Amino acid sequence: MPALSRLALVPVPLGNDGTEFPASHLGKALTVKGRLETTGIVHIYGIVNGQITADRLVIGAGGVVEGDIIANDVRIGGRFTGRVFARHVTLDGSANVTGRIFHHTVTVAKGARIDGRMPWRPLNFFERLEHLREAQ
Amino acid sequence: MNMFTRNDKSFDANAASTTPARDKTEVPVAPLAETKRTPPSAPQTYEVATPQTRVVSVISKALKITGQLESTEDIQVDGEVDGDVRGLSVKIGSNAKVKGTVYGDTVELAGTIDGKIEAKKVILTSTAHMSGDVVHQDIKIESGAYIDGHCRPELGKAANKNTHAAAKPAATVSAGPVRDKAGSVGEIGTRI
Repeated sequence: MPALSRLALVPVPLGNDGTEFPASHLGKALTVKGRLETTGIVHIYGIVNGQITADRLVIGAGGVVEGDIIANDVRIGGRFTGRVFARHVTLDGSANVTGRIFHHTVTVAKGARIDGRMPWRPLNFFERLEHLREAQ
Repeated sequence: MNMFTRNDKSFDANAASTTPARDKTEVPVAPLAETKRTPPSAPQTYEVATPQTRVVSVISKALKITGQLESTEDIQVDGEVDGDVRGLSVKIGSNAKVKGTVYGDTVELAGTIDGKIEAKKVILTSTAHMSGDVVHQDIKIESGAYIDGHCRPELGKAANKNTHAAAKPAATVSAGPVRDKAGSVGEIGTRI
């Protein structure tokens, strides 16, 4: 995976799960209205309207997501509106984000556009969140 | 807002000499931060490219979608969908479950659908479990497939596109009798 040294500090149970289940790939032409839930990896290049729960989520350049994201690891290269609850967040240079990003570690590339707040939270905040996932 | 504009200025000041066009970042003048940035985006595309060479969108095993899926391209569903699926060529994998209507040009079912299929060409493989109606122009049912519902040929729909009257008898092996039954009785609720 991308060598983000910070990620190594915190154990993330994502790589293993990801190999078990092939990543879901929502292509350019795909529009989803509704909720996505997975314990694996999701790549989004299309349009998603709704809540997403995943272990690892990638919004590719050109992807558009509106809604809340709950995940361990989020990488955004497209357009996002809503809230992110994730331990690790990476915003690529092509990202366009509106909303709030609750994170423990965050990486922002030069060129990313962010309109909103990025509150830091301790790790246990996200653990609690997982229990409350459904209530969210 | 203040933060935002201030950042912009400092960015310009810093980068004026280096990268004039901000949108096309990361390619040229890269200090440490940027060289680090480029690799992540590259593997990302590799990851994506390998699993789906043929299929455009994949809803994998572990994914559950509650809601509607719409695509103008192909969709492969191996997970669970609670809602309608629309695509060009839709494949429902052997462990997949769909509750809702599946629309498409071609629908290939190896998993479970609880709802309806509306497609020009329908293929029910031996592991298919179909509860609900099938509206088709051309259908293939393999031995072992389970259907509980009506099979209705809709020749009128999009008839201008294909002369399916001609295409049909040739293409469907087992479907001939099925179609006739469905037309009259509409009752094929058993294993074939």
